[in-house]
Amino acid sequence: MSVITGVERNRRGFTAAVLGAESAPEPTPLGHRVTRGVVVSANSRMLCLAVPGGEERFMYDRTTTFWRGGDVGPGELRTGDDAIVLRVPGGHPIAERVWSQAARATGVIVSRDGDTLEVDPGHGRPRQTVVLPYRTSGRISVRHPRLEPGYVFDAVGVWWEGTVRAIRPATTQPPHPLSATPHRPPTRRPATTLSGIATWYDPAWGRSPHMDPRAHVHGAAYPALDPVGHDAGCDRRASCVPLPLLSTGAILSLRNDCTREAAAIPVVDCAAADSWLCDLCPACGGQAAGRLASLTMTSFVALGGRLEDGCFNATVTVHDGEG
Amino acid sequence: MLSEIVEAFREVQLPLLAVLLLLGAAAKTTRRAAGAGLAVLVPERLRRVSTVGTGLLEAVLGVGLLALTGLLGEAARTLTAVVFAVSVVVLVLVRRRDPEAGCGCFGGLSRAPVGWRTLARAGFLSAAALATLGLEPAGWQVIASTTPTHAGILGVELLFLALLSPEPRGVVARALHREPCGLREVPLRRTMRTLRHSDVWRVNEPVMLGTEPEDVWRQGCWRFLRYDGMRHGRRTDVVYAVRTGGSRRTAVRAVLVDRGSGTVVASFGAVTRADLPAPPRRLASPSEAARRDAWRHDEARAAASLRAAREHATVWDSMESEPDVRATDAPEPDTRGAEVRDTGNQDAGARGAAARNPKGRESTPAG
Repeated sequence: MSVITGVERNRRGFTAAVLGAESAPEPTPLGHRVTRGVVVSANSRMLCLAVPGGEERFMYDRTTTFWRGGDVGPGELRTGDDAIVLRVPGGHPIAERVWSQAARATGVIVSRDGDTLEVDPGHGRPRQTVVLPYRTSGRISVRHPRLEPGYVFDAVGVWWEGTVRAIRPATTQPPHPLSATPHRPPTRRPATTLSGIATWYDPAWGRSPHMDPRAHVHGAAYPALDPVGHDAGCDRRASCVPLPLLSTGAILSLRNDCTREAAAIPVVDCAAADSWLCDLCPACGGQAAGRLASLTMTSFVALGGRLEDGCFNATVTVHDGEG
Repeated sequence: MLSEIVEAFREVQLPLLAVLLLLGAAAKTTRRAAGAGLAVLVPERLRRVSTVGTGLLEAVLGVGLLALTGLLGEAARTLTAVVFAVSVVVLVLVRRRDPEAGCGCFGGLSRAPVGWRTLARAGFLSAAALATLGLEPAGWQVIASTTPTHAGILGVELLFLALLSPEPRGVVARALHREPCGLREVPLRRTMRTLRHSDVWRVNEPVMLGTEPEDVWRQGCWRFLRYDGMRHGRRTDVVYAVRTGGSRRTAVRAVLVDRGSGTVVASFGAVTRADLPAPPRRLASPSEAARRDAWRHDEARAAASLRAAREHATVWDSMESEPDVRATDAPEPDTRGAEVRDTGNQDAGARGAAARNPKGRESTPAG
């Protein structure tokens, strides 16, 4: 679903032929700084990952940090963990930061049973079971005061036996259920450059990232997909950012406003849940509200995002060959 | 005179309030009404109930204002004033709870966020209901005995209320304003209709192999459609871009892309990529354009061109006066064509030919 096909790759070329090269620039290669795979072995000096092409080894330096639901030491990475490694700049096989078992649950709460929630991410993705551990439930409930069916939920956590153990909230829950979202006034002025926040999602659901090609896709899920030419099930609502309609295969020029890193990223999937929320990102103090896109895990890390923060302030430019 | 006007003002409030309450009650029965106003403050399961309950109360009060007199009438008027006063408090709470929520006063029409206008209107209506206390006639009696004074006051008051209300603004804005083309959802049928009525489609029809698009996608204001095609025996992609807004004649572009090599072999409908002085619809005035193009003007060349044109004109004049000369000149195009073919290979030769035959062969300075 989220792997770009040959047909969609051609869309970029055809768009550029009609509207000019800047409306569909070549996607920026992002793979050189991020690797995702399964931990084969981890000790205090070296990390070995199983990746699609075989194995990859990473050394640590003094500043290397590890995250597995919180900052941990290298010894706490387990064999079989889904790991994402951000390398140091310069191409050396040295890890700058390692995330292990990172997971995210974004969607609307379907049911609640004690401290277990079932969350529907929308647009045809499978439902997730979220467990709220006692340790973090206070932190979650500060920003999600209503853990009831119908309300929106978004939290970052770790995979644990097929469920997501929520660690920290990734948004402030809207005070109304999703079905009672207020009507947003129509947009007056069109804009090609939009400010808001970018978030991340895991296209492979944390399962066998060394085998699944979806785990390594660099791209973004976009909340304003044109319903024509897209599979049904992208239940988009009026987003609070006036995003132009696009289709999969279109290119977003996205900049991380916190680190100033920028890239041209293809749209690979629908992110209807991003249009349900109109939140700010506290990570680096931006003022622009509203979600622009959900980057895949690897793209998010490659653009300087920290998975545990869940978002960064971003600016998106979509050229349509006019002005 | 003044007391008459005050009296008429007090009387007018009865039918006005009754009509507003009945309209509000009717609007609250629609499905879109839930989720605004009081409903924001109550739990999810009570939202519909609270909206319908408010609507019923308004209906009862509206009928009461119209029909009742005496003690019951006074009670209805007092209750109306209390309801509007309470609604001011409720709206303040709603605004604090959810700044994006509408007041829901007229159901789905009142979707604009609660602002000072809405609060002021509720306060004004509460005061208007208080002003009716102690009046002799009921609402229907006021309607039955309407005078021009009543009509004038009603007109002024309606204008005042319209200025205070966010609803007429919303309706007018929705009617006048269209969503930007990049955000507008357009059915594929409409795109196809625009495409099939365009010249670009007609020109490319012989190239295409099918009539249904192989792929459809969107980029902001433009919707793209790709068709399979065959051109000079080679497989070609015919890609149309149809603009979702704008005039029909300029709305369609197309490119033919060779499938093997990926090169663009033809393009249609695109406008120039050169910098224009302004968007195409607002061209500069002729004098302004002439001033901007002044640097292109070559005095000597223009003079030569004018001289050549004049000589040419005298030749034509003489030819028209002698029809038999024109008849003898008939085979000339052939020889001229041969001359162009011969000199086409050698640039120096062409210049020599131009020097030999300077009559009317020079290009215009603007070209």
